[in-house]
Amino acid sequence: MCRESCLYPFILRRGVKAGLLLRNVKKELEVFLQQLLNGLSCGGVYALMAVGFGLIYNVLKFSNFSHGGVMLIGCYTAYFAFKIFHSSLFLTLLFGAISGGLCAVIFEKLAIIPLRKRNAPKIYFFVNSINGGLLSEYLIVATVGVFFHTFPDFLGTTNINIGQISFSKLNLTMLIISLITLFGLMWYLYKTKYGRAIRAVACDINTTSLMGVDVNRVISLTFFVSGLLGGLCGVFLGINYTIYPQLGKLIVKGWMASVIGGLGSLLGPVLGGILLGVLETFLTAYIGSSFTPILEFIILLMFLLIRPQGIAGVIVEEKA
Amino acid sequence: MNKLKVIVILMTMLFLSVSLFSYSWGAGEEEILVGNIQDMSAGTAIWGQNDTNGILLAAEEINARGGILGKKIKVITYDTKGNPTEAINAYNRLVDLDKVVAVLGPPTSNVGIPLAPIAERKKVPVIGDFMDERATTHSRGVWNFMFLTEPSCSEQAEIAASYALKELKLSKFAVIYNKANSYSVKMAIPFMAYVIKHGGEILITETYLFGDTEFRAQCTKIKNASPEAVFVPGYVKDNALIAKQLRGIGVDVPIIGNNSWYVPLIELAGPAANNTYFPNNMATDIPRFQEFMKLYEKRFGMEPLIHACMGYDNMNILAEAIKKAGKLDPIAIKDAIEQTDHVGVTGRIKFNPQTHRPDRMPLVMLKIENEEFVTLEEYLPPLD
Repeated sequence: MCRESCLYPFILRRGVKAGLLLRNVKKELEVFLQQLLNGLSCGGVYALMAVGFGLIYNVLKFSNFSHGGVMLIGCYTAYFAFKIFHSSLFLTLLFGAISGGLCAVIFEKLAIIPLRKRNAPKIYFFVNSINGGLLSEYLIVATVGVFFHTFPDFLGTTNINIGQISFSKLNLTMLIISLITLFGLMWYLYKTKYGRAIRAVACDINTTSLMGVDVNRVISLTFFVSGLLGGLCGVFLGINYTIYPQLGKLIVKGWMASVIGGLGSLLGPVLGGILLGVLETFLTAYIGSSFTPILEFIILLMFLLIRPQGIAGVIVEEKA
Repeated sequence: MNKLKVIVILMTMLFLSVSLFSYSWGAGEEEILVGNIQDMSAGTAIWGQNDTNGILLAAEEINARGGILGKKIKVITYDTKGNPTEAINAYNRLVDLDKVVAVLGPPTSNVGIPLAPIAERKKVPVIGDFMDERATTHSRGVWNFMFLTEPSCSEQAEIAASYALKELKLSKFAVIYNKANSYSVKMAIPFMAYVIKHGGEILITETYLFGDTEFRAQCTKIKNASPEAVFVPGYVKDNALIAKQLRGIGVDVPIIGNNSWYVPLIELAGPAANNTYFPNNMATDIPRFQEFMKLYEKRFGMEPLIHACMGYDNMNILAEAIKKAGKLDPIAIKDAIEQTDHVGVTGRIKFNPQTHRPDRMPLVMLKIENEEFVTLEEYLPPLD
């Protein structure tokens, strides 16, 4: 009896300790899940960016940095469309996508077709695409100005709360729209005639042209589709990060995502984008913001050295 | 071949004589040349353009009154693109080629700090709003040719910290700042030091870098630490994004800000900006600012930011100094600037000769409520 009563406080103490530990574990788990969710929502946008970037790579085999410019122009056009028509979220996204598509086609007509006609080396394509990206930035600085702009809160600032985890409705909507778009693209590429043509050109441009496919038209189409994704992505970035002329520089994330995921396939950039988003969030949370870019670039370097085909594993040479 | 040589020599001579002639024409004795280095096209261009507009407005007013010493002021502006190297090149060009009597500097510390030793060598004064103390003083004393016309970083941070501790009765803080921006670092560290010294607590410190747009990882950690308030001393776009992302994951405690929480922050952050307290050089319901606003809107057709007031004050301080010096000698002008006692749009500016900064200049505390700026009071931390 005495023995038991002596033990009692001890047991109680251990019990309290275990309870505290359990509560800590629960809290840590919640933080982990919150970070995972943050990473996923960030990764969804990166994935969209990387797919648009990867499409052009698949077809013409060069890293198209003008995609940043396309995103930028898409974002600004959508913003002005919103200002004039007070359009809803979906209509604004549509404006952004279509203007992005047109912008990409115009860029192709002006900067890519002349190079293709001359059969110029791939490095010229690459350099021209960087030019395109910078040009659009300075164009915006000169015409619209440097003042920051924002989209309004299309869906209000309501959060969805599950326990301690919260997630903004807008981010969730954007994640869903990204997924729908990616599935739509998959369907387009695999189930339609034009999609098949794009894949054929990506596989072997010369053979496809010998088979009687109008390669020039298919390439223009690819630019348009990639521009649609770019414009859409631009609006998402504008909603998330405000609208400013240097927005196009975020394309570097898309490029990193497509290198990690593998440029040769469609699934690669999607995986790469989501992985990059999650990785970035966790690195920032657990190691700190100053070391995150360093680690990211080391990981990128390792991919290029050890597994240049990326996660998806389709071998493509010449990652310029 | 000889003919070609003669043509080349003639062309060169022609070119040289034309450029020399136009150069000496440009630097005519009828004008006082004042340099202005600002970011006109990159990330902080809103500030640079506003600052420049303020300077031009003041110069036009002075010229309309007949100028100084019977001469008109001419402002020569060079774009720094926010880059310290470009800023130094611009300063050298202004001093060596344009022969300006003084330079009006940008409201960015990253430019002010590297400029200080160069101004010391070239002996042409710079008046600007680089809030980091290292732009005006070094470990052994003062940079003789640098002048700051607003409270420095640590003074602003102490005003914010003291207000949060003593007036808002908050004591547990989280801090998130830009580790790559000297202005942001120099606000965060004195804030933390002041809080700890006066009995408060810093629960968590988070950092980010230039160009970052995702802060949710840091915000989640801040939420987990459950502070009573979050101190966010960044540039305006970062501040807006942090506010949005903090509120987006459910951190609703007050935010304590710096003087980059003013216009256009509410437009950028929307309702997420609510429940924020910050010190500012200016508030719309102060009469001297309303007057300035009218003038500015009439001239440029838009609302001024605080940087426009700073540019306006800096130009007026310089004009007074030139008048006092009585000659266009940069060293005499520098001595005259030291004697400044000027009541401008941003308040009374009187330099401490040991620091070349205005001592104990109060700031206005503002609050953001229902997506509007509400003026609270002019505040200075109590002496202790």
